[in-house]
Amino acid sequence: MMQAGDSHGAHDGRGGRINHDGRVVAAAIAALPGIGPQRLRMLIGTLGVSTTWQVVRGEARAPEHIAAVLHHDGLHRVVRRAATSQLLEQMAESLHNGAIRVLLAGDAEYPASLRDDFAAPAVLFARGELGAFANRRVGIIGTRAASAAGRHFAQRLGRDLAHNGVSVVSGLARGIDAAAHRGALSHSTARPGTHTPTGTHTPTGAPIAVVASGLDVVYPREHAALWQQVAERGVIISESPPGCAPDAFRFPLRNRILAAVSEVLVVVESRAGGGSMITVDEAARRGVTVMAVPGSPHSEASAGTNALISAGAATVCDAADVMVALGLDHHRHAASSDARTRPSSADRVVLDALARRPMTFEQVVAEVNLPLHEVAMSLGRLDAQGWAVVNGGWWEALLAMRAATTV
Amino acid sequence: MFATVRSTTLLGVVGRAVDVEVHVGVGLPGFTIVGQPDEVCRESRDRVRAAFLSRGFAWPNRRITVNLAPSGERKGGAGLDLAIAVAVLIADEQLPPQVADRLAFVAELGLDGSLRSVIGAAPLVAAVRDRRVVVALGNVAAARAAGAVDVVAARDLAQVIACLRDDDEWLADGGDETAPDDAQLPDLADVRGQPVARLALEIAAAGGHHLLLVGPPGAGKSMLARRLPGILPPLTDDQALSCTMVHSAAHVSMSTSGRVTRPPFRSPHHSVSLVGLIGGGTSAMRPGEISLASEGVLFLDELGEFAPSVLDALRQPIEEGVVHVSRARTTLTFPARFLLVAAANPCPCGAGAPGVCVCDDAARAKYVRRFSGPLLDRFDLRVSVGLPRVDDLVDGGKGESSSAVAARVLCARTIAIERNGSVNAKIAVDDFDTVAPLAPAARALLRRELEVGRLSGRGLHRVRRVARTIADLDGAPVIVGESHVATALQLRTGLGVLTGGR
Repeated sequence: MMQAGDSHGAHDGRGGRINHDGRVVAAAIAALPGIGPQRLRMLIGTLGVSTTWQVVRGEARAPEHIAAVLHHDGLHRVVRRAATSQLLEQMAESLHNGAIRVLLAGDAEYPASLRDDFAAPAVLFARGELGAFANRRVGIIGTRAASAAGRHFAQRLGRDLAHNGVSVVSGLARGIDAAAHRGALSHSTARPGTHTPTGTHTPTGAPIAVVASGLDVVYPREHAALWQQVAERGVIISESPPGCAPDAFRFPLRNRILAAVSEVLVVVESRAGGGSMITVDEAARRGVTVMAVPGSPHSEASAGTNALISAGAATVCDAADVMVALGLDHHRHAASSDARTRPSSADRVVLDALARRPMTFEQVVAEVNLPLHEVAMSLGRLDAQGWAVVNGGWWEALLAMRAATTV
Repeated sequence: MFATVRSTTLLGVVGRAVDVEVHVGVGLPGFTIVGQPDEVCRESRDRVRAAFLSRGFAWPNRRITVNLAPSGERKGGAGLDLAIAVAVLIADEQLPPQVADRLAFVAELGLDGSLRSVIGAAPLVAAVRDRRVVVALGNVAAARAAGAVDVVAARDLAQVIACLRDDDEWLADGGDETAPDDAQLPDLADVRGQPVARLALEIAAAGGHHLLLVGPPGAGKSMLARRLPGILPPLTDDQALSCTMVHSAAHVSMSTSGRVTRPPFRSPHHSVSLVGLIGGGTSAMRPGEISLASEGVLFLDELGEFAPSVLDALRQPIEEGVVHVSRARTTLTFPARFLLVAAANPCPCGAGAPGVCVCDDAARAKYVRRFSGPLLDRFDLRVSVGLPRVDDLVDGGKGESSSAVAARVLCARTIAIERNGSVNAKIAVDDFDTVAPLAPAARALLRRELEVGRLSGRGLHRVRRVARTIADLDGAPVIVGESHVATALQLRTGLGVLTGGR
């Protein structure tokens, strides 16, 4: 098995060449306990895959500075116990079963935007087509506890960007992440009215997902179908080897990759101290443009994004704003005029009340001072016309689209 | 030598006539009771003998055999004591043979010979109401409530024997059956604001729709629920009798009249066991909370805290209006025609509102799992109750009183029963187009809800039933209009995390 790692096939991360089994070895090294992204970079970056394996097996001597790291806290004993041929077999099977590819920093297919990153993962796992990384890439992130309006916006933005050939990068978490990818996946079924005026060719915006767990560990479980669709139409990447649980510490690490892969990062909704802010910080360190969707000051779910805007982030009110930030011809995005029927004056009263904050039916009744059945009818009409949505009994106004401001 | 005296025993909530046969004959002195007596019943032996001796009656020093016929069924309770005592006296020829032929005896004996009240007097007496029934003084009201015409009482065994020998008069009074039930029910006028919840209560009362109230702690969910019995239509005589039987059998305190006169309100704590809620038990089958709430309101506060197995057991009685409790020896049927009202918090933190709720995904997911979908589905009305507004609390006037609402409820229910033959909540799916035809706009509204997937087929039927009730309350007894359907849809919304949505 070790000899296989020494033979020549592909790059081994240091300029040498390794064959297919070397990738299994790389995956196995990444799966060793106590070897995080930083140590992995140091080991593979300095020694290459095969030598690293020999070193952790105790079959070769490591240079002084690496040996010092490995002997810290008895780490070398832990990894030697774990670095068995059984682990290699197990890894080979998981990679095969999950159709998971292993990318090393030197590979041609390794995403270019990651290659130059100061904290690039030494070993990257991917499911799907890596061609998406050649597209323009926009990260769409936000809170898991998103409002219905926030999810709706993320979905529209994902769809419109995908329609313009931009790859949506997100984390497949609940809330905004999932909504953005659902939108991106739905672009082919979008209304014909949003097609490009030139109409020559509609580029596919293949979605890119960056996840924290191993690629064969779907988290959250209810996103299994979404996960599958993204892998079929685009690509899912992770630096966690197969079988890795979605441990809490992996999410901030995942966020740095998400930030590094994105050219522009759009925060749709986030609380003041939300996890999205970690991604924003990582993006800022890398000079990635951060944009934010403004929200009501009443909405706690928009507290973080509004703070970003005060700190100087550009606002996003529709996909055109993002296209401009990417330097693309935003006219290709057909400025969709608001096709919704204008609400009647009575319905407008209800809509105005909803615009302030999400409300339950009984709160609307108390707020607008209209007979109960009229409020019920108004809400039914506003919902049918697309001005309001209900989620879990909470009604929210959908005014976020730019055209709505002219109503 | 031989005597037969009529008495009764309790099986669940129904009395069964029992013939107490006594044989006094030659043999070693002894006293045995056969015919499946339970523990309490077997102890009659000692009570009857002690009562004889302390009252100075001669105890026959011969072989005494008591048979409780029919002997195939298990007998329970102390209500047979008096009948056994009288039968022994007749068999021993201390009383003439025919004195007890037109009588039935339902009372327990004290060791001093006094007559004691028994549990479940109403259903016990009902089984022998074609005869003159002798009971303890404390059971006279219950016996009358059970429909027995000829009820007499006595203080003790001596008086019973004196009356049987025509040496004394029965006591015939006791318990004022016309005593009004003067306990005040809480009034809806105390509820300030809350127009939606008030409407939901009114609809629930008029149409018999089960109601789920969802709201943060302090919103007044229990306060609202407790006011529902006050607006329900008054009990019919049959309903009152059935309630009285159940309450008597379960030994639940009733008014001085000995009968239930108003729709009951039962609010079991969430630690209630399956048997406590549904009924049953090992020795004596006792009706559960759902039967005590029959014809009234079963209120389950903090629905999420009830054991899921207990809640799921509610589903079948909700559909059938009765509950069949089967045990190895017996299968009993208890009434369970209750109106279910439940209250729950919208999420673990109680806030529920987007952006305010601080529950994380795991906590929400765990909370949602506490509610079974099929049970949530059985609530025709699912409304959110918000915290009362400051304006309403401080400056708001009193709300509409229960009596005004009750008048509308009675009117709407009368219309419904004349039209459908049942309350609206029980409209059969096949009858919708005849008893609840939809206006075109209403039909369009429902079509859209179905198309966007917010409404299931079963949800559609429930919305149509509620809309029917809203229309009845609105004075539209034929066509169900758009506003009725729109309101019904708003009163059956997903509630906080209870929708489970993405």
